[in-house]
Amino acid sequence: MRTSLIALVLLALAALYPLAFPHLLSIAIFFLILAGWATAWDILGGWTGQTSLGHAAFVGLGSYTLAILANRYGLAPWWGALSGMALAALLAWIWGKLTFKLRGPYFTLSTIAIAEILRLVAIEEKWLTQGAEGVFIFSLEQPFGFDLFDRQVEYYAALLYLVLVLLLVGWLVQGKFGYQMRAVREDEEAAQAAGINPERVKLIAFMLSGALTALGAAIYAVFLSYLEPHDIFFLPLSVQIALTAIIGGRGTLFGPLTGALLLVGAGEVFRNTFAEANLLIYGILIVLVVLFLPRGLIGAWRYRAIRRRYARSAQR
Amino acid sequence: MEVFVAFLQNLSGGILIGGVYALVGAGLTLVFGVMRVINFAHGEFLAIGMYLAFIMHSSLGLDPFLAMLLALPFGFLFALGLERLILSHLIDAPEDSTLLATLGLALILSNTLLLLFGAEPKTLYVPYATATLRLGALTLSLPLLLAGGIAILIIIGLSLFLNFTEQGRAIRATSQNRLGAELVGINTRAIHGLVFGIGTVAAMASGFILMPMLFAIPDIGPGFTLKAFVVTVLGGMGNIAGAIGGGLLLGIVEVLGASYLSSGYRDAYGLLAFLLVLLLRPEGLFGRTVQRV
Repeated sequence: MRTSLIALVLLALAALYPLAFPHLLSIAIFFLILAGWATAWDILGGWTGQTSLGHAAFVGLGSYTLAILANRYGLAPWWGALSGMALAALLAWIWGKLTFKLRGPYFTLSTIAIAEILRLVAIEEKWLTQGAEGVFIFSLEQPFGFDLFDRQVEYYAALLYLVLVLLLVGWLVQGKFGYQMRAVREDEEAAQAAGINPERVKLIAFMLSGALTALGAAIYAVFLSYLEPHDIFFLPLSVQIALTAIIGGRGTLFGPLTGALLLVGAGEVFRNTFAEANLLIYGILIVLVVLFLPRGLIGAWRYRAIRRRYARSAQR
Repeated sequence: MEVFVAFLQNLSGGILIGGVYALVGAGLTLVFGVMRVINFAHGEFLAIGMYLAFIMHSSLGLDPFLAMLLALPFGFLFALGLERLILSHLIDAPEDSTLLATLGLALILSNTLLLLFGAEPKTLYVPYATATLRLGALTLSLPLLLAGGIAILIIIGLSLFLNFTEQGRAIRATSQNRLGAELVGINTRAIHGLVFGIGTVAAMASGFILMPMLFAIPDIGPGFTLKAFVVTVLGGMGNIAGAIGGGLLLGIVEVLGASYLSSGYRDAYGLLAFLLVLLLRPEGLFGRTVQRV
């Protein structure tokens, strides 16, 4: 009850943000999209326990699908976004079928390799992607007369995206499937003994995670309106998404969001000091988190709260 | 005949660059074999080696191969410090955490290089940069020949050290069974430091010997980290002799693929081989088949 009240207040504040800070929209849009990506990453990386460092492939797939369909066939952006999601789910299915027999770090390494190969394909197959030159999105159909290149419209689209992802993940982890994901994360053999099919659970989690990442990527594509494979298919983006979730606290609903708030905020504060070297903050924070708060920020906070509650009930 | 000579020319180039890959991979595979750490900062140490070669050449006029001998002891101490500071706290932590810690370290190192030197490429000119050596019908570039040769020499030295000294025996014992090694009186903490130092020095040395041929940019590291992973997986995780085979194979596959198939996919051939080996033969191409747990 109290949580949902806080959530509603935050949501109202977020909805009023463009009126209060009309000139600080770009950074807010990036924050909302990064938070959505990190939450989507967490379905596989946190709740199911399979660390992927290849999610930039879904960002690339989602944004390029929208751009190519809009530029070549004049397809409306929402159809582009849906096609991107479908392709991302398909990619995740094939990807998972191939590599889910690998465990732990080996799976992580294989995700890097596959994402790198896809990046090279995006650079080399110029007939499809125009290679390293990149793709411009010139014009898009206007839903209900909204101009999608307007930053305010993009802000609300990104906000809607984040809320959608949070609601979906929140609903998912409360139900049977959330239980199955956590069981697979803790111990695959034990999960199997309890009648759970780990491969199926991991596949569904990966497909959801990939499709939701691609949805955010569609908004990101419109936001950038210029796509370059070196940017959106590249390993640093995968690392950024994964570290955002891990620093905030994987396997918690609001951890990835907190991570995005912290990292985008810190990036903004140190923008003039570090300029292009902004991933330095990610590096420092992840080393600190691994050493001192292995559960992430929100994870550590919740763990302490739970311990305190048990300590109190034991004293009574 | 000409086709054959061109093939041999490519093959020799592949073998020489493969020698350097083998050295990069040997460092990674040693660290993994003994410490069970997937070291994502490995390529960054190579990048640091390149920048050190650049500084020592531009300020002191030192040849990179000479500068290497002077700088490596400091590289070893640097690695020792990093191990004490970060990795020694994560010995019994899940494999994921050391992976993330070294990934963070990689981000710190590469972005520090970016802050110090800027994004523009740094080059180093040596008088013999374009010198070649004729061997029958083959023409070999002298810097490449030196790089490949020195890399192979260092690996041979490393395997002699591992196989024929008391320290080497202690390292092998630690990699086989850490608890057992401790029970017979080996200081495994010191061994971890030593091994991380050796692995780092191997990567740095590769940076020095590559510098006459490549230019240094701050984000050159991840590409070499990936190559080192490919070498390691091809040769079998933790297998030094396998790393030599894996390195040579990667060099040959890259060069032949780039000249006979498509040069844009040069990096993809290695990654594809990496995936295939990881999925079909996880013990590496040359390892004994053992039951995976």
